[in-house]
Amino acid sequence: MGKLNIRPEVRRTAVKYTAALVVTFILGGILIQAQGENALHAYKLILSGGLGSIAKIGNSIRWSIPILLSGAAATVAFRSGIFNMGIEGQLYMGAFTGGIVGAYISLPHVPHVLLCLLAGGLAGMLFALIPAVLKLFFNVNVVITTLMMNFIATQLTEYLTLAVVMGGSMSASGSAAITTPQILETATLTNIIPTTAANTGIFISLGVILLIAFAYKHTIAGYEMKQIGQNMRFAETGGVNVVKRFFAVFMISGFLAGMCGAMEVSGAYHMFVAGFSRNIGWEAIMVTRVAESNPIALLLVSLIWGILKAGSMAMERVTSLNRLTVNIIQMIFVLFVAIDYDGLLQSLYKAFRKKPLHLPKQEEAGRTDA
Amino acid sequence: MTLSEVFALAFGTVTLAAAFRTACPLLLAGISGSFSTATGTFNIAFECFMLCGAFFGAYGSHLTSNPYMGGLMSLAVGLIMALLFGFFVFVLRANAMIVSVALNFGAWAITTLLLTSIFGSRGRVMGGSIVNYPIIHMGFLEKVPVLNAILNDNILLVYVSYLLVIVGYIVMYKTPFGLQLRGIGINPVGAETVGVHVQRIRWITLLIMGAFAGLAGSYLSIGGLALFSENMTSGRGFLAFAAILIGDNNPFKVFLACFLFAYTYALTAVFTAYDWPTQLVLTLPYVAVILALFLSGLRAFKGKPQIIEL
Repeated sequence: MGKLNIRPEVRRTAVKYTAALVVTFILGGILIQAQGENALHAYKLILSGGLGSIAKIGNSIRWSIPILLSGAAATVAFRSGIFNMGIEGQLYMGAFTGGIVGAYISLPHVPHVLLCLLAGGLAGMLFALIPAVLKLFFNVNVVITTLMMNFIATQLTEYLTLAVVMGGSMSASGSAAITTPQILETATLTNIIPTTAANTGIFISLGVILLIAFAYKHTIAGYEMKQIGQNMRFAETGGVNVVKRFFAVFMISGFLAGMCGAMEVSGAYHMFVAGFSRNIGWEAIMVTRVAESNPIALLLVSLIWGILKAGSMAMERVTSLNRLTVNIIQMIFVLFVAIDYDGLLQSLYKAFRKKPLHLPKQEEAGRTDA
Repeated sequence: MTLSEVFALAFGTVTLAAAFRTACPLLLAGISGSFSTATGTFNIAFECFMLCGAFFGAYGSHLTSNPYMGGLMSLAVGLIMALLFGFFVFVLRANAMIVSVALNFGAWAITTLLLTSIFGSRGRVMGGSIVNYPIIHMGFLEKVPVLNAILNDNILLVYVSYLLVIVGYIVMYKTPFGLQLRGIGINPVGAETVGVHVQRIRWITLLIMGAFAGLAGSYLSIGGLALFSENMTSGRGFLAFAAILIGDNNPFKVFLACFLFAYTYALTAVFTAYDWPTQLVLTLPYVAVILALFLSGLRAFKGKPQIIEL
């Protein structure tokens, strides 16, 4: 044949990521130069800071774990067209519960870790129950309830930690941080790379994502969940119990987000620290969108995201650049990946051939093609 | 504290005056945002517009020692961010939800980075060269007992925000422009066929929203505190969005929702002063949103679970 045969969707994806990467590279470079540093040098530092040594790879793994798992939570929801914007809040509830179970219950190592993760997941799930019930019974917009629940969760966990666990006083060690006590040795996930916080949670996260990918491909439930995201009415007519599937999706999403919180406590912080997350839930939503709600793509993007995060922290130590610069670069990348290149190219093509009938088409509120 | 004391406090002029003031940023963002939302533009980037507005309000005030220049700068930066939003969503057809999330995420980083590089401080900057909006005293109100305590001695922006409610209502329901934009929300293709410039009106309303949401940010930084701190909007943008949703794009109903949230904010100050746990009290506005949504959703209750649309 001689001629390379590329499937259109592969070509589309390649165009999209290449375009976004090139634009981000250039704009990010300008941003770095504007702060008086050499852009290429900074990029090199980020890469070597994320991959340069075993310990640095360990840091990258550490930061990939929460993105993987909360990304899984976002993927499950978004793939079904459900906008769970409350991952951050569910994560906090899970982390707090994980911290309590880890510190106050004694069990052998493996069951203790599992119980921690399970309890965290259940807490996240219970927290997701409120918006789910409000939606099912009172048709209340999920986006807004989950958004509000985030703020409630951050404050509630801080209150519970300070007033109930710490008895209203600052920690006994005299530090000002609002934290639960250190979890027991048996509740910590095993470290895999010394001097870093990389832990066996990475395997659990990877397993969860592979499981989701498998479920979408080979199970009826997974197929139906995908279907309601594509066209709910069609799925309903085809005999899918939409209410049941919606509820299941929401609960799984909440569970994974909560489990992610518990895993952060069990694997990295070893205690619940009030306000620890700093936007993991939001990053997960962006990563999921970049991966177009595809579990396997999510795997890849999360690992890259982790490398960028660890790399930017390393870079911050040796240059005058603030690591927030990398956050801005990440935003630029997400913005440019979100562009509908296909539609754009098509309308440009049409515009050149003949003047088209101008009928603006716009995405409906809260709807995506994810 | 006895129950009657709590009641006296909750409905006292101090609390109501605080509610009157704190409603200002919510109103500016909520009323202007309801125009954009009415045309079918989905947007939860209020946090971004407000946070950028808050920073540049403080920065402009710091540069010129004139708070109104700060206000102008916050308005301008709101416009610029709205242009950016529109460029991605309208022109490049990016998904509005993800553009919003990315902009909110980015605005936190951008303002904090600027805080570090311009003011040289991490976390927060306050006082010094940052000048607050001056307080306006209205002599004629002095004679009116209760209203004087509630309405008098506020900054110009507060009065502007209430003016916006009235103007917003008139524009939305009494002008051809309002009719057109409501028409777009109901049926964009139909509106287009009767000669409405759909895309132009979407742009105009988006820019209005950006400008006012930016201005709303300046209330937070130079409306009395002379301070900018990292992520200082802390969810107010989302509250404005919630108010629009609850008020169903009707400026008057949006006003009621905004005032309710502002009132709960004012209560947080009262309760914290009386040793109620700060964290729980701080959740009040968000709990109020959920309760309001629940109450307005009661009509949809059918006794069994259902999905009308995702």
